[in-house]
Amino acid sequence: MKRKIQYLIISLLLIGFVASAQNPKAKSGTFALTHASIETITKGVITHGTIIIQKGKITAVGTNVSVPSDAIVIDCTGKWIYPGMIDGGTRVGLLEIGQIPQASDEHETGQVIPQMKALTAVNPNSVLIPVTRISGVTTVITAPGGGMFPGTAALINLHGYVPDQMFAGFEGLVMNFPNQSRRGYYDRRTDEDIKKDVEKVTKQMNDIWDRAVEYYKLDSATKGKGLTYYPEMTAFLPVVRGEQNLMIEVNAANDIKAALKWVADRKIKKVIFTGVAEGWRMADEIAKAKIPVVVGPTLEEPTRDYDRYDKPYANAGLMKKAGVKIALRTSHAENVRNLPYYAGFAAAYGLGREEALKSVTIVPAEIFGVADKFGSIEVGKVANVFVCDGDPFETKTNIHHVFIEGWQIPMVSRQTQLYEEFLKRDPGLNKN
Amino acid sequence: MKKFYSYPFNRWALLMLFCWPFSLLAQDDALAPVSRTYALTNATIIQAPGRKIEAATIVIKNGLIQSVGKGITTPPEAIIIRADSFFIYAGFIDGLSRIGVNKPKDDVSKERPKDPGNPTPERAGITPHNDVRTVLNPTEKSLEEMRGIGFTTAHVVPYGGMLPGNGSIILLGGTSADAMIVSHKNSFYSELTPAERAYPTTVMGVMAKYRDLYRQATLTKNYQSLYASNRAGIERPSSDRILESFYPVIDKRQTVFFKAEKVLELQRVLTLQKELGFTLTLIEVKEGWDMIPKVKASNAQIFLSLDLPEEKKDEKKTDEKKADSVKQAEKPKSAAELEKEVLEKRRTDFIAKYVGQASAYQKAGVKFGFSTLTAKSKDIPANLRRMIKAGLTEDAALASLTTTPAEIFGLSDRLGTVDNGKIANLVISDKPYFNEKAKVRYVFVDGVLYKQEVSEVKKADANAKVEIEGSWSVTTVTPQGTAQSTLTIKKEGTVYSGEIKITGSPLPLPEKLTSIALEGNVLKIAYSISIDGKSMDVKMDVIIDGITFKGNTTVASETFPVEGKKDPKF
Amino acid sequence: MKKLIILFIVFISFNQAQAQVQHGNVLIKNGTVITITKGTLENTDVLVKDGKISQIGKNIAAPTGYTVIDATNKFVMPGIIDAHSHIALTAINEYSNAITPEVWTGDELNPFDISIYRALAGGVTVSHALHGSGNAIGGQSETIKHRYGTLDMDVLRMENAPRTIKFALGENPTTHGRNSGLQPQTRMGVEFVIREAFSEARQYMETWDKYNKEKLVKGFRGAPPTYSLRLETLADILKGNIILHCHSYRADEINMLLKVCKEFGVKRLVFQHVNEGFKVAPELAAAGAMASVFSDWWAYKLEVYYSTAYNAAILTRNGVVTSINSDSGELIRHLFHEAAKTQKYGGLSDDEALSLITINPAKQLGIENRVGSLEVGKDGDIAIFQKHPLSIYAIPMITIVDGVVRFDREKDPDDMRIYVDPKQVVDIPTIQSHDHDHDNCLRGTEMFTNKMLGLN
Repeated sequence: MKRKIQYLIISLLLIGFVASAQNPKAKSGTFALTHASIETITKGVITHGTIIIQKGKITAVGTNVSVPSDAIVIDCTGKWIYPGMIDGGTRVGLLEIGQIPQASDEHETGQVIPQMKALTAVNPNSVLIPVTRISGVTTVITAPGGGMFPGTAALINLHGYVPDQMFAGFEGLVMNFPNQSRRGYYDRRTDEDIKKDVEKVTKQMNDIWDRAVEYYKLDSATKGKGLTYYPEMTAFLPVVRGEQNLMIEVNAANDIKAALKWVADRKIKKVIFTGVAEGWRMADEIAKAKIPVVVGPTLEEPTRDYDRYDKPYANAGLMKKAGVKIALRTSHAENVRNLPYYAGFAAAYGLGREEALKSVTIVPAEIFGVADKFGSIEVGKVANVFVCDGDPFETKTNIHHVFIEGWQIPMVSRQTQLYEEFLKRDPGLNKN
Repeated sequence: MKKFYSYPFNRWALLMLFCWPFSLLAQDDALAPVSRTYALTNATIIQAPGRKIEAATIVIKNGLIQSVGKGITTPPEAIIIRADSFFIYAGFIDGLSRIGVNKPKDDVSKERPKDPGNPTPERAGITPHNDVRTVLNPTEKSLEEMRGIGFTTAHVVPYGGMLPGNGSIILLGGTSADAMIVSHKNSFYSELTPAERAYPTTVMGVMAKYRDLYRQATLTKNYQSLYASNRAGIERPSSDRILESFYPVIDKRQTVFFKAEKVLELQRVLTLQKELGFTLTLIEVKEGWDMIPKVKASNAQIFLSLDLPEEKKDEKKTDEKKADSVKQAEKPKSAAELEKEVLEKRRTDFIAKYVGQASAYQKAGVKFGFSTLTAKSKDIPANLRRMIKAGLTEDAALASLTTTPAEIFGLSDRLGTVDNGKIANLVISDKPYFNEKAKVRYVFVDGVLYKQEVSEVKKADANAKVEIEGSWSVTTVTPQGTAQSTLTIKKEGTVYSGEIKITGSPLPLPEKLTSIALEGNVLKIAYSISIDGKSMDVKMDVIIDGITFKGNTTVASETFPVEGKKDPKF
Repeated sequence: MKKLIILFIVFISFNQAQAQVQHGNVLIKNGTVITITKGTLENTDVLVKDGKISQIGKNIAAPTGYTVIDATNKFVMPGIIDAHSHIALTAINEYSNAITPEVWTGDELNPFDISIYRALAGGVTVSHALHGSGNAIGGQSETIKHRYGTLDMDVLRMENAPRTIKFALGENPTTHGRNSGLQPQTRMGVEFVIREAFSEARQYMETWDKYNKEKLVKGFRGAPPTYSLRLETLADILKGNIILHCHSYRADEINMLLKVCKEFGVKRLVFQHVNEGFKVAPELAAAGAMASVFSDWWAYKLEVYYSTAYNAAILTRNGVVTSINSDSGELIRHLFHEAAKTQKYGGLSDDEALSLITINPAKQLGIENRVGSLEVGKDGDIAIFQKHPLSIYAIPMITIVDGVVRFDREKDPDDMRIYVDPKQVVDIPTIQSHDHDHDNCLRGTEMFTNKMLGLN
């Protein structure tokens, strides 16, 4: 009965919202979120606390905070406030409808096209974005896919009208490491074919890197002058210089081993591993190399028939235990909203709730070099927060308010709108 | 000198040396033997599993075993083969394969048909009316390979899809397709093989189609009988060669031979049999060890595959690794190594199940034959030994190769044992057949003798002890043809001497050997021949393996393969 | 003729033939027992005798020879049921023709599929091994029990479960039509293909009925009609002997099939996926049609772009018997979590949410008198969880089928394969592609293979 009432209240609230704003916009201003339990991530939990949001930033956090007179006060009694969650790997904004090529911009043709920039193709008006952000995921890496060097991924906040308004201060060069694995049951290559493919691609990879280093040397020698137009090599420069992160997608144990050696041999300074499905098999080695990892998806089948059934759930926890720095990702476009559940499964299967929480907040912020702005609730940080009625990992928990860079996001998506329209359809069965 | 080795002379010399008699020899091969009567004397004869006689004789006449036993007088017209210390068995029977069967040159197009849901029967693999007799080829290469390991009879089926056609029992020898046939339309051969890019594309599609055709055929057959009983006034049934092919199966006059390699295929085939009620023989069973009760309950006959998964290959390497690991004994194993060890053990244990399958069937009291559809002839003797090592008795193995298949095919009156009056299909080996070192020396198919070239490559071994005295038949293979010669070596004290004679050559031979060197099993000889008053050196390096050798002969800087065989002492 | 009829009966009843199914005796002590249909009982025991639940109550003494499981602080619920999956099958699409009702996934069962064990590790004890959706009228499907460990295809079958068949509407069958240049290439075409098939089946049925009647007259000498397993199966649908499960997404196509089925008298109808079911919920409810949905899959193709995760809730509130399915070897491992999403998206109660993966799918498969709730007399299919199954921190600990423990988190070894590959030791791993551009119903069809391997 309690649930039913709750459900009625929620529906009424939502109906009210839709009725008042057919095309709801985000609101800016000064906000005071009061009487809340605040999970700061970095500084513990504050009960009966208040957060002040001004000009896009968190200007005050604590139990003894004075509310500015112009503030819109949101009473959060009985509710929790968390920093906006960060998904370390998605296709949000690039991929609208998977099966329709005209609605997919995540995959440009070409093996070596590091000059492609995901940020360029982010569609700020994607229907997927509101669906994602009202579930508390405020910030995501959106990454291109495809060949060996498919382009540059970008960290974006899920609010804005042009990509530049969404950009959250990090770009990384994506690399798909030669992959000694099958892509699915439909991949019928023989083991030998797979090995041959890998050898071929590895040779190509080494050649490209040698060339990038050569280009870098010439570029340094000529101080950037006198070199002919070579956009691919230009795109490699920041990585070779050690200024930009190389985000290496690598999953199979042998590939991880090879990638560790490859990175060490070439003394590449800034590296992030992504995917890392069999990371648990190489956890000590990854920890030793001090390479941070964006792991996921958690909800995945084991990579080998003889592996224990829960290895993908446990992967993050096992790596963490070995000392690897881990963030999580969903790898989705349309269901990035499930990031908290991915974290919840990882938490239940060994990572623990506290570490799981960090792996979708402060740790990705650190890995992407934006921990000064994102990933925790601290004064001076960007106001990416959400208000919810329970543990955000718990499936039934509802999110009531989301703020992205201080903008109060309307809690509406096409999915909620369809709910409003069709819960009790009018006309129903009979038109008259 | 340079001129001497000029090309034209060189070729001519070689021709003179080796190839003069070539045309004669080639003809000789095709000549009929001087008699069709043979007597194999003083041999150990395994007449049937568990029925052995020693120092016995077999007389073969007109393609049949005329008599077998001790103290048999050899007829005067018999070619006598002294089979002292040899072992004679009934020729082996292959339960199902495609040896001697022509593969269709233009494999049915794999292009997508215009309407993939309604392909032609051929495109769908539905050709039960096909008859293997129309595609038999007595010169097909695999006949010789299988004969070489002792098979003299095979049940063969045509190539195709789910219903390739009728199978026949053939002899692995004969001058024409018809001459090879022992019995025809023995089987209605079926597979769960889908068509590519056309209906049926899945096993469930094949099974549905099978049921559909079978039931259609049952109806049309009944109606045809009705029509035959009184034709007046009722619609004439149309002829349908596909459905009509099912009639003998429905009447249980013909057995369905169903390929069932994997455990799931086996179950699916048994499902079809249970539903449709046909008489079933399972063939090429590889994963049947867990299905023995089901097979028993089905009353199906069964042929187990002679193909086995390979044993671990790199045993030598692991030995080396062991040596290494002794050195690095202190280094603990990594998780990956430990994991691999456990997995390797599971795999080894699992391979043992394939190898132990035959033994499991024997223990369960199920009679079975062997089929070779997917087996490589060179692996078969070793695979049999692996099965025996895993518990299959030698008698049971022999029964599965001889008496059981003869029984299953209803040919026990003609095949399967070494008894008077049976077809003279025999295999003669120099050691008991299942002995690792045994070699098949002679094979009789339908009373025709096939001598087996013993052709295992032996490695040079300085410690080996071989006997080279005696007379050797030497075969040299040149691009122009094969030449025969006779090498004779004598030993006086510790000194070897010898001569070589090229059969039918006009050259002034025999030539005394100028040097003979034996080191372990490596024999090096040299001699020279003189052509037009000029002398040419010939060298021959061979490795001796018992009574055979293999190697090269070099003359005028050209090298040819050479093989030799010690002439039996008759 | 009699012989033939007997033959048919043998075939139909083959399904029912008792395979060597193992039944166990087990006592589950002191758990929180979520019965689904009769409330949640604290500190309660469940006794399973010879594979059936024989008693639910407090302080039940363990008879000798029973396995006793201590469920203190644990949650005991009925085994989860998945009304749409493709695990335990070696092939799922006979896609070559628009109509292939004669094929049957029961012929493709694979008791060795490790996915069965992984499903058990998610508390799932029964699943519907569906044919794919490459063609408008696909194959008959099989309801299986997750008796992992058996080598026998027949043991996997759920004995006495009703026959089911897969239909498919919308993009999948029309895309296939376009690729092969045949009908159907539109939703109009799909309707026609189904109407044509039903009409021909009706004719077939009439012809056979007429023949069988005439045959009874003494001295009758006529030709039997041509036998067709395809039309025979379609006729069985019209006779009400087969439950129709239809892959569908858009509201209009759902409405179309409702009308066609009404016209041909087909009453037992379950829509699968049915992403836009929420738009025609009143029509579904009025027709008594059921819906088996995803919790939240959407946007992987055009016909699921206008979806909402509130679908299950809207359908439930409108009185449609609704289930949540997996369609995936991955998702089947956490259907309890998928069901929990309806609490966020639509506020369903615990029992409502858990019904979506227990009693409701049981109804859709026609097995609700056997499974789907914990009641005396029902099958001993039970899942035991640490934490409440709707919590994100829930961990399935033990899964029982027919009173036999088939999954035990604490006792099972890592490697649970039954047969192993004799050829290789260390597998080359499979790293799934994360491009969410398909449901799994097209597995095995050419267009799917072509797409995944970039052949198109």
